Amino acid sequence: MRNSARAWSRLVHPAVVIVLAAVVIGIPLWLALVTSAKSQGEANLPDLSLPRVWHLWDNYSQAFSQGHMLWALFGSLLVMVPSVAGVLIFGSLASWVLARRTGRVMAVLYSAAISGIILPPAVVTIVLLLRQLHLASTPTGMVLVYMGMYMSLVIFFVTGFVRTIPVEVEEAARMDGARPLGIFIKVVLPLLRPVIATATILICLYIWNDVFYAFFVLGGGTYSTLPLNLYSVASSNLYQNNWNLVFAYVVLMSLPLIVVFVVAQRRIISGITGGAVK
Amino acid sequence: MIPSLSAASGRSPRRAVLYPSSFLAPAFAVLAVFFFLPTVFNFVYAFTDWSAFHDDIRPVGLANVKAVLSNGALLSSLRITIVYAVLVAIMQTGFGLGLALLLERDTRINRFARVVFFIPVLMSALAVGYTFQALLKPDGPLNGLLGALIGQQVTIPWLGSTTWTVVTVAFVNSWKWMGLAMVIFLAGLKTIPADVLEAARIDGAGRWRTFRSIRFPLIAPAVTFNVATALLGSFNGFDTILATTGGGPAQQTEVLDIYIFRVYGNGLFAQATTMSLALLLLVALLAFPVIGYLRKRERVL
Amino acid sequence: MKTRGLTRAAAAATCGALLLAGCSAGNPGTSSDTAGPVATTWPDPGAGLQGVTLTLWMSTQTAAMADNVIKAFEAKTGAKITKVVIPDVYETNAPTKLATGAKPDLATWQPTGSMLALLKPSTDLQSLDGAPWLAKQTPAIQKLGLVNGHHYAAFVNVPSVLGVFYNKSVFQKAGITSPPKNFSELLADAQKIKTKGVAPFFGAAGDQWPTQWWPQVLLAEASKKGLWERVSQNKEKFTDPEILGAVRQFQDMVKQGLFNKDDKTSKYTESGPALLKGEAAMVLQLTSFASLMQSTADTATIDREIGWFPISKDGNIATSVPGGDNALVAFKTGDPKRESGARQFLRFWLETYYPDYVKSAGTVSIEPAVPTPAGVPEVVKQATAALGDAAGSMQQNAAVNPDFYVNLANMVNGTMTPEQVTSTTQSQFAQLAQALGIQGF
Repeated sequence: MRNSARAWSRLVHPAVVIVLAAVVIGIPLWLALVTSAKSQGEANLPDLSLPRVWHLWDNYSQAFSQGHMLWALFGSLLVMVPSVAGVLIFGSLASWVLARRTGRVMAVLYSAAISGIILPPAVVTIVLLLRQLHLASTPTGMVLVYMGMYMSLVIFFVTGFVRTIPVEVEEAARMDGARPLGIFIKVVLPLLRPVIATATILICLYIWNDVFYAFFVLGGGTYSTLPLNLYSVASSNLYQNNWNLVFAYVVLMSLPLIVVFVVAQRRIISGITGGAVK
Repeated sequence: MIPSLSAASGRSPRRAVLYPSSFLAPAFAVLAVFFFLPTVFNFVYAFTDWSAFHDDIRPVGLANVKAVLSNGALLSSLRITIVYAVLVAIMQTGFGLGLALLLERDTRINRFARVVFFIPVLMSALAVGYTFQALLKPDGPLNGLLGALIGQQVTIPWLGSTTWTVVTVAFVNSWKWMGLAMVIFLAGLKTIPADVLEAARIDGAGRWRTFRSIRFPLIAPAVTFNVATALLGSFNGFDTILATTGGGPAQQTEVLDIYIFRVYGNGLFAQATTMSLALLLLVALLAFPVIGYLRKRERVL
Repeated sequence: MKTRGLTRAAAAATCGALLLAGCSAGNPGTSSDTAGPVATTWPDPGAGLQGVTLTLWMSTQTAAMADNVIKAFEAKTGAKITKVVIPDVYETNAPTKLATGAKPDLATWQPTGSMLALLKPSTDLQSLDGAPWLAKQTPAIQKLGLVNGHHYAAFVNVPSVLGVFYNKSVFQKAGITSPPKNFSELLADAQKIKTKGVAPFFGAAGDQWPTQWWPQVLLAEASKKGLWERVSQNKEKFTDPEILGAVRQFQDMVKQGLFNKDDKTSKYTESGPALLKGEAAMVLQLTSFASLMQSTADTATIDREIGWFPISKDGNIATSVPGGDNALVAFKTGDPKRESGARQFLRFWLETYYPDYVKSAGTVSIEPAVPTPAGVPEVVKQATAALGDAAGSMQQNAAVNPDFYVNLANMVNGTMTPEQVTSTTQSQFAQLAQALGIQGF
């Protein structure tokens, strides 16, 4: 009995995992990688075959230069980092208060705060507003738009999490004479690590890959983001796509995130679990 | 109220002092100006004749609302949106849970597999859409593989069926995001106290019993998070569908967001915003009760 | 707390007022001078333009089209041209971005009345009446790109026409010695090909838009007699026998199995290789189909294997469909220097640089004085020659552009009847016409 259980865990289980990963994830990734190394004509109808002629370096360097990827990378970071930082700081500050205080006013404010999750952002009117404030096509404007979009998400998740933190911890700090801001920074924020880690990942992913809002706010201006510049390499002429360049570009575009995840994988997962090690 | 430990004061200060309202200001300022204001104006436009064809904007009352309600295409699109969202919620959460259970133990292979399954989460939705568009062609790689396995030629139109393609597209979206659900569930599983599990083992509970009665209820917050993100993400996101089927075939994967996009493209801006109002109502009526239920479930436990 | 609430409300109200001020103006910075024709100056193409930056919007499909022209222009005049590639779908995103108040100096745009309407030509586009290059272009082109009798589009490429590209060997094997002279003969030929086991037509319905060509060529004669003008005045409807009949005939063709087996999911990009390999006998497409074939075969092969003929209900009339890569428009930005710079760029492209452009693009020349370079496939030259006698497509002659193709693709997939296709298209047409303010709707 025990031998078969061990056989399962030693041999069968890992085999199942590897096969599953290879088929479910490996095959699609293979298609993307292989297509990124083909010529334009060959890549027109993407499939799993290896390229007849390898254009790996040509495609990647063309995607990199034609898509101005370095500048786009700068743009993506420029809007992502302040947005995520801003929305997390403002959002958790507000969530703490909304979670701890009671009363009808607070309840109404809370409902208003999280209603943003279901409301689709109104892109045209937001840009019209930015234009009035002379913020259209600026990174500042983009950051404010992203913050507006994801504030509700942060408040929704953080408020729920704060309610699981015992008040006693804050009480103790207050007894020692700490002011509210001090209590928040020194006591509450560290305890919010799991939900902040999760929210960071989610919002970073949304912003890094966002094409729609980046286009209407930043598109055509000086600044650009990685998803936007994809369209500079996307097509060769009417009704045809440069699939080889497109896939080369998206591979390059996803690389920074993948590298960060592989390197910080354990930190990220432990951050989400709140350091609750088993 | 917690009895005060401090000798100096007799009671705890009012909540308004402990948790100052000023902390609400930055978040609400951003929300008010950069979210609510434009959104409200967007909905105001639904009652005008705003279009690409002329500069001036005149109010038209409920004309757009009436037109949209009598439009059969809207109802069809609503139905597809709901079906899609429910499928995504079920598949994404289900796959994530399955993967988390499979890769629970911290072996080297499991840790490697976790990274691999998370890669689609990091890829852009466009890349995922294009990849699957190529994979799922009737004469494409997937059918080729199935054909090799069965020994017969397989030409299933994965993206060409007016009835089933919506399932395929929901699968593609779940494929992209299941890695995230897996990570959240892994975290949730790790937070289950060891002594509870130990007690169950001593009582002789088998793996399935332990899961059903103890572990699954205790990961309720993770379930809420994953179902919530899946539902809300599928209601408002359309990148994957657009890149995979473009809303076809025969508009049978044209979720409301894509339909709205198409109406925008025709220059009928006011009609498009009227439809976003419809989408908003849909989400409010469906998503919130579900999330509320899940939240309550968390608290009971 | 109360004061805090008030301050917040005040801030919101101010922003609201600002927004309203912006809204009613629609596009800030628009010059609203439509009081009568202003004498436009046409600057010398090579004049110095140091310090002037022009923004050019292009779709992903046209993104590489102007690269050589831009380089030459910048070198000659010292101006700078910023190319902005708009994500797909261009025709949706560009008008939406215009609605947010963004405005380029130039943009590639489909030069049909219905598509130009999305740009508000009378208020937002520069009129190109009297442009010096007009006289240099073929008469057929001079008649196109008009809205209310004014030129707003500058043609840089020859407009596409609809015609049938066919595989010569498949025709030979089926015993067809000369191209069909009308649609009934075409269908008879299709049956002959079907008996030989080859798909007569490659439909590419998976991309939706190729489906609309079939009813359109069936309506070529009617179009010449003013069909689309009547529809645009609500004097005739899609649901009336003329158009409904064409849609029904298309459905019959689908039901008779005259299209490739995987028509419902097949894509445009597959139609080129399929025709070249002889897997299908014919493809009804725009002239630009030739460049799809050129991505997998050279000109010599195409000249040898592929032939072309136009088709319409009762004859061989081609249908012209100017495409998104055919022309540019110049916007009224309110900045006289940039507006004149835009006109200068167009002059440069179409007058000074045109011979070089045609050579590097390998495209047919639209100016009789400039020869078409070698290496352009025969079928392209034939299609271009048919332009002079061509009928106008719905895109070209109708006032607005409904999603006819979406409904037709639904019909191919079996989810709509011809009656539903025409009634849905008609109601969308009416909606768009109403928004445009056309009388009678």
